[in-house]
Amino acid sequence: MVAIEDIRSRAKELLEGGMVRAVLGFRRSSAGLLAEPTFVVASEDVASLVWDATCVHNLALYLVNEKKRQKAERTPDTRPLAIIAKGCDSRAINVLLQENHVAREEVVILGVSCEGGGVVDTRKLADALRGKEAASAVCDDTGKVKVATASGEVTFPAADVLADRCLECTIAYPSVSDTMFGEKVDERGFTARFAAVKSIAAMSEQERSAFWDGHFERCIRCYACRAVCPMCYCDECVVDSTSFIVSPMTTAEEKANRIRWIQRSTTPADNAMYHMVRAMHLAGRCIDCAECERVCPVNIPLRLLNTSLEQEALEMFEYTPGMDPAQPSLISSFRDDDPNDFIR
Amino acid sequence: METILKKERLSEWVAQIGARATVFAPAFADGIWNFCAVAADTKVEFDHGNTVRPAKGFVFPQREVLYRFRQESGKAPELMETLPAAAPTVVFGVRPCDGRAMVRNDKVFTCGFNDPYYQARRDQVVFVGLACSEPPSQNCFCLSVGGSPHSEDGLDVLMTELDGRYHVKAITAKGREIVEGAAALLDKAQAADGKAAAKAHADADKHPQRALATMEKVAAGLKEHFDSPKWDELARACIGCGACTYLCPSCHCFDINDEITSNVPLTGERVRTWDNCQFPDFTMHSSGHNPRHDTGARLRQRVSHKLLYFVENHNIQQCTGCGRCISHCPVGIDIVRVATEVSGQ
Ligand code: SF4
Ligand code: SF4
Ligand code: SF4
Ligand code: SF4
Repeated sequence: MVAIEDIRSRAKELLEGGMVRAVLGFRRSSAGLLAEPTFVVASEDVASLVWDATCVHNLALYLVNEKKRQKAERTPDTRPLAIIAKGCDSRAINVLLQENHVAREEVVILGVSCEGGGVVDTRKLADALRGKEAASAVCDDTGKVKVATASGEVTFPAADVLADRCLECTIAYPSVSDTMFGEKVDERGFTARFAAVKSIAAMSEQERSAFWDGHFERCIRCYACRAVCPMCYCDECVVDSTSFIVSPMTTAEEKANRIRWIQRSTTPADNAMYHMVRAMHLAGRCIDCAECERVCPVNIPLRLLNTSLEQEALEMFEYTPGMDPAQPSLISSFRDDDPNDFIR
Repeated sequence: METILKKERLSEWVAQIGARATVFAPAFADGIWNFCAVAADTKVEFDHGNTVRPAKGFVFPQREVLYRFRQESGKAPELMETLPAAAPTVVFGVRPCDGRAMVRNDKVFTCGFNDPYYQARRDQVVFVGLACSEPPSQNCFCLSVGGSPHSEDGLDVLMTELDGRYHVKAITAKGREIVEGAAALLDKAQAADGKAAAKAHADADKHPQRALATMEKVAAGLKEHFDSPKWDELARACIGCGACTYLCPSCHCFDINDEITSNVPLTGERVRTWDNCQFPDFTMHSSGHNPRHDTGARLRQRVSHKLLYFVENHNIQQCTGCGRCISHCPVGIDIVRVATEVSGQ
């Protein structure tokens, strides 16, 4: 088991030594069960850091957001940011490193192994508790989750309440870190990788199309899925109206005729187009932290889209994203020993 | 006008109304509570938490066509009016906070200038509220913003669950119409029923909720601390999505765009869609300058609009305490905590 005291004392050292500008970790939230991201800047505040099965967020996102924030600052603090990263989060950092979005010296990675466990899925938990609110959730070495509610403690098997991505996760420890907490556990034995997406693949084309139409219809285009994704870092996204640069010379006609690939309207076509664009832009980059699916207020199973592309990248090109910052990226590389003939 | 409906007759009442109007009621589908159209002979039961999407969409849909246009080259453009042909709609199971939000939306869309698109829908919809016997979410705080789990504001009918029956109170003329139209199903409430409803309401008020200081204190505190460094601190984790505002029953900002369907001849529609102050491009000027350039400035706008500016303009808070923005924020940004910490109250 990972002891939070170990993480706190390392965080304290880093802050006291002035080696980092902040330690980005998790603390309890007033909003509900899940922990929330926190930037600890004063060493006496490290006591607020927590570590348990409610630390679901992929904090690598903030490497991107902080970069944008710093660009606007007149005198940015350029010391590195320390960041607590689970296995999946560390793979996201690797992709950002690989894409030269961040440099290795800009980040101090406090890697944490999930060992034999993972993080909770609040929707599964709500089902399992039949509406009772959970006050805390702690995962043991075998993935069993102990949940406290107002009327006592309940223990659930992993499959009932852990996030699907954790059940399917094969490398539940950081692929890159400066300090690592916890043991590397290779035998997890919950579910096979790609189990969820394989169930969709069994549908006929018509069934699948109806399945997605039904889900996309609910999308309110809040873009929480995009905003929470560490890989969706473009300054200008095709769906935003800012993707058209206006200068004093731009005529009214040019403004009126600007190309809008995707309208703001939440019509079925525009919604489907948005999701298609996002999925394609994540092929070979998505590391399956499943944050997009977690944050979707209307419960669209977005993880299925991205893992299906992840599966194709693996089956067609033997490519797994986020394993190594030095590996050439899937989209921009060509290999002689590519397993697929069609490309040669 | 107060009546009593036996629980087992709820579906019958809904079916009767369904013969004349489209009926919506909360249903649990695809893992969330939502207002769904009730098909004939569906059994309707109320055991819902608050719906993820608020009731505002019935009067202020996410997409509204304002008019159509057509222009042959070299000729003057023709404009075709497209006022919504709203059909009579009855929405059941509306929580009192969503009802109160409707009063706020009315202020925005019908006071001073009467928005014909909004009004056309508003005239046709009847909101049948359901009093909360206990807060459906741990983030409810209606009592702190002038509301209550049994507020009648903005509702046409208020139903209160009693033992085996509902106390049904018609509040507006529209409400009386659907209650009177079902005289055969609804019994006249006796004095004891009125008392039982009052007791249910008093009990509901006793359930603990999240708490915020008074309207005056919060507003004064937010005004005083407009430049507080806490805004940046509290918003540092905000990811700038639209979950909080799109799900808010009283957020009403919109964008207007032309959607072209053909270039020659030029045809298309001018449409109004929801917009929100948390998107970076919301305040982006065409020069590229953005006056609300970061999440701190945007969080300040959202919270201050709800709890300060609306108070200054209308003397009521815009927030009705439904708690959606707290429960659905991906990173736990909590309007109660933010307002409390910044205002120092
Ligand atoms: S989070 Fe959900 S509702 Fe929001 S844009 Fe993404 S898919 Fe649509
Ligand atoms: S805030 Fe909660 S308790 Fe109050 S009316 Fe809304 S749903 Fe009911
Ligand atoms: S601001 Fe938040 S709590 Fe208040 S009405 Fe809107 S969504 Fe509900
Ligand atoms: S406060 Fe939360 S829901 Fe609102 S924009 Fe920020 S991250 Fe999104």
